[in-house]
Amino acid sequence: MARWLGGSVLLVALFLAGGGSGLASEKKSFLDSVKDVDKPFDSRAVRQVQPITQTTVLVKEESQGGPFRVLARKEQIERYRCSNCHGEKEVKGKDAFNLTHGNVVIHHGQEGNALACIDCHHPQDRNSLEDKKGRKIDFDHSYQLCGQCHFRQKRDWLGGAHGKRVAYWAGERVAYNCTTCHDPHAPKFAKRFPATYSVPLH
Amino acid sequence: MSLPDNEKEKTDPTDALSEKSSRRAFLKGLSIGAAAASAALVVGCVPGADAAASGELRLRWQEFFKKNYRLMTQEEKDQTVERLERLAALRDGIDVQIGSEPPLPKVLYGYAFNITRCEGFMECVTACIKENNLDRKTNTQYIRIFEMEPGQLDPSTGDGKYFHEVPVENKFYMGTQCFHCENAPCTKACPTKATWKEPDGIVVVDYDWCIGCRYCQAACPYFGRRFNWGKAEIPKEEITTKQHYLGNRLRPMGKMEKCTFCIQRTRKGRLPACVEACPTGSRVFGNLLDPDSEIRYVLKHKKVFRMKEELGTEPKFWYFID
Repeated sequence: MARWLGGSVLLVALFLAGGGSGLASEKKSFLDSVKDVDKPFDSRAVRQVQPITQTTVLVKEESQGGPFRVLARKEQIERYRCSNCHGEKEVKGKDAFNLTHGNVVIHHGQEGNALACIDCHHPQDRNSLEDKKGRKIDFDHSYQLCGQCHFRQKRDWLGGAHGKRVAYWAGERVAYNCTTCHDPHAPKFAKRFPATYSVPLH
Repeated sequence: MSLPDNEKEKTDPTDALSEKSSRRAFLKGLSIGAAAASAALVVGCVPGADAAASGELRLRWQEFFKKNYRLMTQEEKDQTVERLERLAALRDGIDVQIGSEPPLPKVLYGYAFNITRCEGFMECVTACIKENNLDRKTNTQYIRIFEMEPGQLDPSTGDGKYFHEVPVENKFYMGTQCFHCENAPCTKACPTKATWKEPDGIVVVDYDWCIGCRYCQAACPYFGRRFNWGKAEIPKEEITTKQHYLGNRLRPMGKMEKCTFCIQRTRKGRLPACVEACPTGSRVFGNLLDPDSEIRYVLKHKKVFRMKEELGTEPKFWYFID
């Protein structure tokens, strides 16, 4: 009887110990429990999301979450369509400064070896850009052109680590275009004073 | 089969709460009666006394005896929100819309900050001040940006008071704010349970239950909390009127306040004001429980770190480099 009791106590103790260690190994870190979620969030689940008011176009490539949209560029270009001037039209001498784009200063590329206009602009069809393989690229899809050199930034932009979304974290993904933030002729942000200052906390 | 009546009572949590607060309910009834009586007295004795003033008094009495936000039913939340809106109109003459949106299901907010991209323009800071109705007089800021020496990763070694043209060569910039820890030490320090972590991961403060003891400020290892020494002084036209009970509503004097990931925006799917204002795209915000979100992309593909990770506070705010 005593032996039988002792044996059962031992068995129970073993079972408890096994169960305990099993629980300990199952306990996941917070980060692991976050990364284990692999079911996508329904982007339409947040009802208050309003459509973006700016014009957008569907990106010709996909992010990890599938297709997404990007802010359009063409309507932001003051004198688009470029073929209005770049064509058969006659040019008057007094308009020369304007028409030669004298206001455009290029700070793009290495110092002393800056890019030229036709490194990006199509030499014949001025309504388009042209990549190094000679393909026509729409102004709205300039990420295809920029991504030739800045492929790391483009990869991050597609994923969401570079650039930003417009207004909403939920809803259909609408991202800023390269040219929304960067001036393509001088892409580096200019030095300036900060918007405010901080006083010490203590 | 139905439960016997006494069993039912035990299983209903709202009953247990009302049992506990019977003294409160008694005082509440008493006070409302007293307020009504005093108001009647004022109106009766002083002819032409401002009727609006007695209305304000009643609202303030009712506000004084309300519950902790977490114990309120949706109906009670709606009532206090309405009272606060009317009080804002009566006292300050402003028309505000205060929300009490609940957390969204299957959402856990996370934030990432790109220390390679930030150039210290501090537009996030001004946007935050504006959005969250921060005091202009004491220049309260929830966000701090530090100018850092290369190789350093602790903001306490950086310069948080810079004011010169940025970016400076061979320096980098690092922002701090409330990190909304999963295991938040501040919420454990609160003696009145006025601060807690919401199911969507945002650490919030019930400003009407905060007694201003500042234990939470002492408990936070990240200097994420701010104490207000008075009601915020803001030009009337600059007040953000779309507010949330737990967010940017105008706080009473002597309360603890902090970044709420702009709860009034994010619960409607919008980005926080700092993310929207950032001119360099250094700030990434999204749902940690969505494998396709930007924040999850950063966690998966970038070199990330968190501040004082060894403390085990599990902040939901990651720094990353390109």
